[in-house]
Amino acid sequence: MKKDKIALTVDDLHIYYRDMKRFSLKKTGLKDKGTGRIFKAVQGVSFEVPRGEILGICGKNGSGKSTLLRAISGIFSADKGSIDLHGNTISLLSIGVGFQKKLTGYENILLSGMLLGFSEEDIIKKAPEIIDFSELGDFINKPVNTYSSGMYSKLAFSITAILETDIMLIDEVLSVGDSHFTEKSYNKMKELISDSDRTVIIVSHSTKTLTELCNKVMWLHEGKIRKIGKPKEIMEEYDEFMKETL
Amino acid sequence: MKRFISDIKKYFRYIAYDTKATLKAEITDSYLGWIWLILEPLCFMLIYFFIGAVVFKSKLDYFPVFVFIGLSIWNFFNKTVVQSVKLVQANKETVTKVYLPKFILLFVQLGVGIVKMAVSFALVIIFMLIYQIPISWNVLYFIPILLVLFILTFGIGTIFMHFGVFASDLTNLTNIAFKLLFYLSGIFYDLVGRVPAPYNAILLYVNPIAYLIDAARQVLMYQSTPNFLPLLIWFVIGIILSIIGINTIYKYENTYVKVMR
Repeated sequence: MKKDKIALTVDDLHIYYRDMKRFSLKKTGLKDKGTGRIFKAVQGVSFEVPRGEILGICGKNGSGKSTLLRAISGIFSADKGSIDLHGNTISLLSIGVGFQKKLTGYENILLSGMLLGFSEEDIIKKAPEIIDFSELGDFINKPVNTYSSGMYSKLAFSITAILETDIMLIDEVLSVGDSHFTEKSYNKMKELISDSDRTVIIVSHSTKTLTELCNKVMWLHEGKIRKIGKPKEIMEEYDEFMKETL
Repeated sequence: MKRFISDIKKYFRYIAYDTKATLKAEITDSYLGWIWLILEPLCFMLIYFFIGAVVFKSKLDYFPVFVFIGLSIWNFFNKTVVQSVKLVQANKETVTKVYLPKFILLFVQLGVGIVKMAVSFALVIIFMLIYQIPISWNVLYFIPILLVLFILTFGIGTIFMHFGVFASDLTNLTNIAFKLLFYLSGIFYDLVGRVPAPYNAILLYVNPIAYLIDAARQVLMYQSTPNFLPLLIWFVIGIILSIIGINTIYKYENTYVKVMR
């Protein structure tokens, strides 16, 4: 375990999407990367998350929340600025984690686990716990493409919840599954959060989730930080703002 | 380069497990299961045997073995490279959720191809025993030939994989190009004997697959040695392509997800 106080540093992060539809074979020259329209999804976001803190991110659709999470998890590259994980392991949990649909649930547990950087032995050891928590029962040995969408997200949540990484990124996950599982995963979330070593970033639209779980909330608006501070204050202002724009 | 080696180490277990799981999924998916691994090459061999021996009246000795060697190598190269074009898109689910070096996907594909080729070559050996083809120590040259095939396939695969993300029409182009390449590789006919003089040599040395198939036949069927210079040249080209491919992927892999839809 590293003893750094800061778990995550994001410095002046910019992420752009380029309109790449017109990419033809003729023009696949790599230097042409800059052509086409540019959509600036995240523009100059900087923040730090101390170890053990729960940061909530709110903002209306298209404000760059998911893009930000993906950048932190290492899927996107930053066009400008930097992201420093201080050597922590990280996992992104969103609706339907990357499963290979033809493979069974169990095989996917192993594959996902390995992608998250765990050893095969560790995963096999924890697999019963994952299967148990996911409530999938015998379906665990059936291909994932036979699963219902609820089962799919249950398994996804269980894998990331039981295989504990230092930093967890959660994208709207509490809104999936049946009400029983939602309740259960919400409680599991609380339990995970009570571990003072774990750093969590939650993206959500739910005022309840953000105010109850988070130490701090960041309000993203059109790719920029509009406000960052205490959950209660921010959420009140955010709800007010959302009502006005209706 | 350092990063490449440490990534291979880090993801080696993943490659192995994913290869196994992918093969298993393919097998359990179909009605006849693992029998397809044998049946598929066998059926294609029969088709080309019919075309070569009956339609074109080929007089080659051990013709089924001749076709089988060509087909095994061709299938491995063809399937791996054609699939690499769509590889990132096909693994969208994984790629958009977690970081992994994208060439790892290609290694999984290579792994699957190698297993299938191994089955196919097991059949070659059976046919060689049936026809009682004499074997010499030159058979050992088959190992460097395979090595060059793997490296070359990987190198070409990385580059096709990279461009496949950006250009969706690359699939159409590769399908056509590979059809042409198939007929130019002398899989069910004797390239050297059938094509008139200056062209056969050119085809044999410009097209690595034709050369590798021919070399494999030399060592397995005719107890002779392969022509070493082209083998060395293709080995070097394969290494260079791999290095270019890996560097390109490292440089651009984080933009792949942004382009996909």
